[in-house]
Amino acid sequence: MTGPHDLVDKVLAELPAWLPAQRWFGGKDRPVSAVRPLRTGVLSAADPLLVHLVVEVAQADRREPYQLLVTDRVDNYDATTDPELAGRLLDLIAENASVDGLVFEHEPDVRVQTGLRGRPITSEQSNTSLVFGSQYILKLFRKLTLGENPDLVLQRALHRVGCEHIAQPLGSITGSLDGQTTTVGMLQQFLPDAVDGWAMATTSVRDLMAEGDLHADEVGGDFAGEAQRLGQAVATVHADLQRALGSAYADDEDIDRTVRAMVTRLDSVVESVPELAPYVPALREAFEQARDTPGEIAVQHIHGDLHLGQVLRTVHGWLLIDFEGEPGAPIAERTALRSPLRDVAGMLRSFDYAAHQLLVGQPEDHQLAVRALEWARRNRAAFTEGYAEAAASSVGDPRGRGHLLRAFELDKAVYEVAYEYANRPEWLTVPLSSIARITGEGTR
Amino acid sequence: MAEDPRPDAALTGLEGVPHTGEAIGADGLLVEPQAEDFRSAKLAPREPGWFKGAVFYEVLVRAFSDSNGDGTGDLRGLASRLDYLEWLGVDCLWLPPFYASPLRDGGYDISDFRAVLPEFGSVEDFVYLLDEAHRRGIRVITDLVLNHTSDAHPWFQQSRAEPDGPYGNYYVWSDDDQRYPDARIIFVDTETSNWTYDPVRGQFYWHRFFSHQPDLNFENPDVQEAMLDTLRFWLDLGIDGFRLDAVPYLFEQEGTNCENLPRTHDFLKRCRKVVDDEYPGRVLLAEANQWPSDVVEYFGDPEVGGDECHMAFHFPLMPRIFMAVRRESRFPISEILAQTPEIPSGAQWGIFLRNHDELTLEMVTDEERDYMYAEYAKDPRMKANIGIRRRLAPLLENDRNQQELFTAMLLSLPGSPVLYYGDEIGMGDNIWLGDRDAVRTPMQWTPDRNAGFSSCDPGRIYLPVIMDPVYGYQALNVEAQLNNQSSLLNWTRRMIEVRKQHHALAEGDFTDLGGSNPSVLAYRRRWRRPDGREDIVLCVNNLSRFPQPVELDLSEHRDSRPVELTGGVRFPAIGDLSYLLTLPGHGFYWFQLVEADDEGEAR
Repeated sequence: MTGPHDLVDKVLAELPAWLPAQRWFGGKDRPVSAVRPLRTGVLSAADPLLVHLVVEVAQADRREPYQLLVTDRVDNYDATTDPELAGRLLDLIAENASVDGLVFEHEPDVRVQTGLRGRPITSEQSNTSLVFGSQYILKLFRKLTLGENPDLVLQRALHRVGCEHIAQPLGSITGSLDGQTTTVGMLQQFLPDAVDGWAMATTSVRDLMAEGDLHADEVGGDFAGEAQRLGQAVATVHADLQRALGSAYADDEDIDRTVRAMVTRLDSVVESVPELAPYVPALREAFEQARDTPGEIAVQHIHGDLHLGQVLRTVHGWLLIDFEGEPGAPIAERTALRSPLRDVAGMLRSFDYAAHQLLVGQPEDHQLAVRALEWARRNRAAFTEGYAEAAASSVGDPRGRGHLLRAFELDKAVYEVAYEYANRPEWLTVPLSSIARITGEGTR
Repeated sequence: MAEDPRPDAALTGLEGVPHTGEAIGADGLLVEPQAEDFRSAKLAPREPGWFKGAVFYEVLVRAFSDSNGDGTGDLRGLASRLDYLEWLGVDCLWLPPFYASPLRDGGYDISDFRAVLPEFGSVEDFVYLLDEAHRRGIRVITDLVLNHTSDAHPWFQQSRAEPDGPYGNYYVWSDDDQRYPDARIIFVDTETSNWTYDPVRGQFYWHRFFSHQPDLNFENPDVQEAMLDTLRFWLDLGIDGFRLDAVPYLFEQEGTNCENLPRTHDFLKRCRKVVDDEYPGRVLLAEANQWPSDVVEYFGDPEVGGDECHMAFHFPLMPRIFMAVRRESRFPISEILAQTPEIPSGAQWGIFLRNHDELTLEMVTDEERDYMYAEYAKDPRMKANIGIRRRLAPLLENDRNQQELFTAMLLSLPGSPVLYYGDEIGMGDNIWLGDRDAVRTPMQWTPDRNAGFSSCDPGRIYLPVIMDPVYGYQALNVEAQLNNQSSLLNWTRRMIEVRKQHHALAEGDFTDLGGSNPSVLAYRRRWRRPDGREDIVLCVNNLSRFPQPVELDLSEHRDSRPVELTGGVRFPAIGDLSYLLTLPGHGFYWFQLVEADDEGEAR
């Protein structure tokens, strides 16, 4: 019989080959040069073994910590694929257990049921989420960020002020990493009836595309009512974040820094994507115009990576999930106070994507392109309308901040250009045509 | 004016037939027909709770079958078609009013509660229908309007003529038209006030509906007794229950909107007690066109399993089924079911896709209308369709897949399904007849003259049979569909049969399973049988016209195996992972969950 240390040794030896095959592994762009353990926690020392492992993955000059749960019970060592071992994690949270330096805790106002089996959900991209019964979902962060994870911090704060548009946070797993208390897992209420906004929106687009002669406001699958309620939900979450964690106003220096960051991104993207070049003057002008935004610009904690895939439709309305911010951005940027209009801009971009996704890779069809644009316009307007209805007074109607909103949206589109160019060249036309349209239209 | 003082003067066509007000007793009371004057029907077998699993069938006496060749359907004609209804699997007929009436409100303006509309036949004919139905295991319920009568009713004639007589206080009279100002006017298009001046009595009378339908005065104990005796009259003859029409309006009270008042509930409790004590096994079905959270009040006290009506219609579900399929999204249905409260153990919802008189936006309160508009107004085609009266098939553009999907949901969502006559063969409507009559055309039995409905001269028929090229009787009729195994009729019969084999679909609890795909509505019905074992049925519906995959979390049923109910095909066993199903456009599945090594049982 092998002990935990033999198991860890065996796993470490296989990791350089194993990691790149995992969906959640963020470093697929270059080979793994070395893997070394940062901390080992033995959750179960005997049959079956269950070991919590944080490893540092070295790839050329990049070093990043990843979380693993390993066992000898399944072939690939990944304990999250074993329903009973996954259930063990939930039990530890229910017991407020502390094991080998790992602290499992449930939130003070809840009781967690034990004895459930856990199964991984398939839609998760960069982490591993386990669902227990139809009640709980445990997100195990894979690439770890030192310190408390903003996802947990923000959702706890929102729950404290009674926010109705999040799934209730129920517990956490933390460990010490580099001397810092670091969030490695987060337990939330699971909503079995939920559907993500992307699936909802593309259902509507599909319905419109299948109609010959009807307009976006005439088809049965019209999404505008949903988009409007979604706008209200996002505005309400922003107002709740403001109530819970406060807000400030951006000064001239903040605005200058923001504009310069957008221009810098543009310059670097156009270097590698020549298709963007024709729009550079108009984009620069749009970014500079952000300085002319009338009145004070409120900044606060925001979602940071809001798009249709980060919202869930339930029978009780829309919820926002995954408050981690843009996973690729540095933690300082992810936790900084920013204008909530960035989230609005992210969602507006997402409506453009949903409208055009059926056209990608298809022969050009003017009729469908017109329909897609019609859908995007209608639902972007409905979303903005809903947002304005429920926005906090310091944020106000986004349409009154046209220059700033437009700059955020274009900045996001420039980011998408870089992403699509590197990963999905067929999709490049989606952000490019949006940039052409938005810069051509001027301020809405 | 008072040349003819006979109280039955306003009744027409009842010469030679027992009716109310033929004579006046020494005490000044009208002589009314009594149940003992007639033969009564053999009762249906006593099965408490029968209504919870029953399939109801709404049939208009006028529209179903004409036995005497006068161009109008009648009770004897309906009785002659009972073999068909038994074959179809119908458990209970719901007949809209067949009482004596001037027919100014579709028979809901009753001028004598104890006489049958002469063109439909007689009380004896009704007893014959009841007997024949009960022989086939079919029950019969009918509408009863408690709130008001026709102004032709002898009670009203007496009330206006003799204010100091025994009927003087039967209606709500007032010297002015100022009382109860907070009660809304329901038919805003035709009525300007809830009060109308009666020149005979020189006073105003109260009416919540049309001015020719004066409200009965339930404050008067004599009225309460008279209405309870009306119930007893038909129950003594053997009827299986009533759909109580317009129940929220029985009482009035200053400073309220005069709806759903506590005393109204008290009276319904009295009605229920009469049924429970004297006629166990008969049912009361409330017509209260309100949100489910308000309608549950009409089931009464949940502590005792309900002590008012046994059943109530679930009104908002129907438009939401249509909306969900239009939107290709399950949320309109999921939401309304999530908002539907638990009902008492002895109660059941009635659900329907179509009936003779649709939900209209005018029939709901302002607050409800705001909600409906917020939900529906975004879709102009929905707005145009909700509130007009069309049959199922034309509403679904005669799409067979959608008709099957809708019917499958009707037969599997929580509540007892109510079919509307003709929808089982996919009958069409005739919008040129105006919206009330469009869906009331004669039942299409055969390709023969008058669709086999009547032997009369075609010009004499009450409404023309449907003759258009798509829905016309020559192609679309019962006879043709009986002979075609793949017809909608045979399909509907088969689905009703399957439903009856699984009591989970009748009384099982309901769980919305959600799932990854918004266009797929999946739910579980679970029934714990008296022997302690569970009957679990899983229903999966594709609301989209396109094929769809769905991943369902069935981990609670790990190691069970879904067995498809219409063909018995065994699907792969359920494991730890999400259960993947694919459905064709507008497709659906019904499964029974069995132990993985179990071969599946019939029920």
